[in-house]
Amino acid sequence: MIARLKSNWSYLAIATLFAFLILAPFDWFLGQYTTLMIVIGIYTIVTVGLCLLMGYTGQVSLGQAAFFGMGAYISAILSTTYGFNPWLAMLIAAVITGAFAYTIGSPIFRLKGNYLAMATLGLGLIMWIVFKQLNQSFGEPDGISGIPYLSIGGFVFDSSFRRYFLVWAFCLVILLISQNIIRSRTGRALRAIHGSEAAAESIGINVGRFKVKILVLSAVYASLAGSLFAHHLRYIGAQPFDFLASVKLVVMAVIGGLASIWGAIFGAGTTHILSDELLLRFGDWDVVIYGLILVLVMIFMPEGLFVKLKEVFERLRLMYRKKGVEP
Amino acid sequence: MSRSVILETKGLSKAFGGLVALDKVDLSIETGKIIAVIGPNGAGKTTLFNLVTGVYPMSGGEIYFQGALLNKVPPHKRASLGIVRTFQHVYLFGNMNVLENVMLGRHPRSSYGFLEAALRLPKARREEEAISLNAIKYLNLVGLGTYAEHDALSLPLGQQKLLAIARALATEPRLILLDEPGAGLNTLEKRQLSDLIRNIREMGVSVILVEHDMPLVMGIAEWVIVLDSGAKIAEGTAAQIQKDRKVIAAYLGEEVE
Repeated sequence: MIARLKSNWSYLAIATLFAFLILAPFDWFLGQYTTLMIVIGIYTIVTVGLCLLMGYTGQVSLGQAAFFGMGAYISAILSTTYGFNPWLAMLIAAVITGAFAYTIGSPIFRLKGNYLAMATLGLGLIMWIVFKQLNQSFGEPDGISGIPYLSIGGFVFDSSFRRYFLVWAFCLVILLISQNIIRSRTGRALRAIHGSEAAAESIGINVGRFKVKILVLSAVYASLAGSLFAHHLRYIGAQPFDFLASVKLVVMAVIGGLASIWGAIFGAGTTHILSDELLLRFGDWDVVIYGLILVLVMIFMPEGLFVKLKEVFERLRLMYRKKGVEP
Repeated sequence: MSRSVILETKGLSKAFGGLVALDKVDLSIETGKIIAVIGPNGAGKTTLFNLVTGVYPMSGGEIYFQGALLNKVPPHKRASLGIVRTFQHVYLFGNMNVLENVMLGRHPRSSYGFLEAALRLPKARREEEAISLNAIKYLNLVGLGTYAEHDALSLPLGQQKLLAIARALATEPRLILLDEPGAGLNTLEKRQLSDLIRNIREMGVSVILVEHDMPLVMGIAEWVIVLDSGAKIAEGTAAQIQKDRKVIAAYLGEEVE
């Protein structure tokens, strides 16, 4: 009974979310924020991958921006210098990034905890330097410009209104796919690895292989998001893929609730708005603020701000219901 | 026909640096029996389990499971061969409910992967249904059917241990290794545990248990193996072991000439 009520409420919540997302880009609603929401959608895709990797499987990545950047740069280079169709470029980027994650996966997962964090951090820094070199080789000193828009037949995604729907369609498909994975044999195995690797192995779970697979999946998500990012902005530099970007992605996942797929939208949204609108004023101190947010959230609400808010909402609803039944 | 052997070790050794935890142990475990491994602390009992399940690489010797050499088989593959264990520290998955814990035990008996899961293909839905039906079956077997939706770690210790056994049984093992299943249980729970272990044997699963509780061991074990300081010092029926002078000496710390 309670379970059914709960699921009715989550249907309602998802229906509301859909309605909001469909109506948001219209001028009479939140049209002026369309560009902001496109970027939030893109970050949500990366964050979902990070949630699967960190929240469900328990493997830290402080270098997720590397995969994000790989998607963006491979798409940018293939579709400008080599004149590839943007969709094909996006596909190739995802394949290359996935293969890259697969290759580094087995050596990197020999490490655990802090050491894994350091290794992924190193990966992020190395790729950031590579991106800066790619600017020199394929574009201007600061970035690559002239990236074409995505298009389907004659329909070009040349307005932010159109790109908004494209990005969020991608985002929702990825959210649904991820939710299906979590509620499956595979998802249970991932959560088991987080719980206890020894116990997981004892019941036949190939811990090493699952870790590599989830890293590949999160890398492919990040790469797709990176490609969308490149074809949205039409110009990319290395800055959105630096160390701070990786930290920002972790903050997004943590605020959304590491083990909460739908929380990713909330985490990506609040963090991006916060960093884009507020933290800019702090200049170089923004990294300190990120650190502070991370520490505070991990101490006071380890399951994430989103999950905490959901609990509060639930409690309010119960209080309201009680009052309704017993006046 | 000679008796059938499910597990055999030859010269099995394990050293941690200079510390020899197991020293050239030869065992031959008969199929379909309840076997107890006893010995004072540090005798090498848990190390034996860790070697059989592949948690540690062995330093020397061989392990055969149903006649096949196990040395090179990676740990996660041993579950699908039919070897499963429980842990002294239980190791339930706290981020999941009771039923999901047992469903995880079906992992080696199901096969659908990322793609089928992501797209919820018919294979995934079919297997998922079989997984939960089987899980419920094993949950009922240990008497926890009514707790399916509870958080695994909200159960009292006794039930957590039963749950860990249900999870292990769900893998459909030929051999189950129970590491101190009785530790921390009260008298009633211990009696239920003994019944359950006999039940498992009736299902055709061989049982090896490491246990400190002697009344429990003597009540159910059909064969007892005694380890002391990494070596096998005696084996026999419970009655024989209770009279064995070397065993008494090992437990009481006396020297035997």
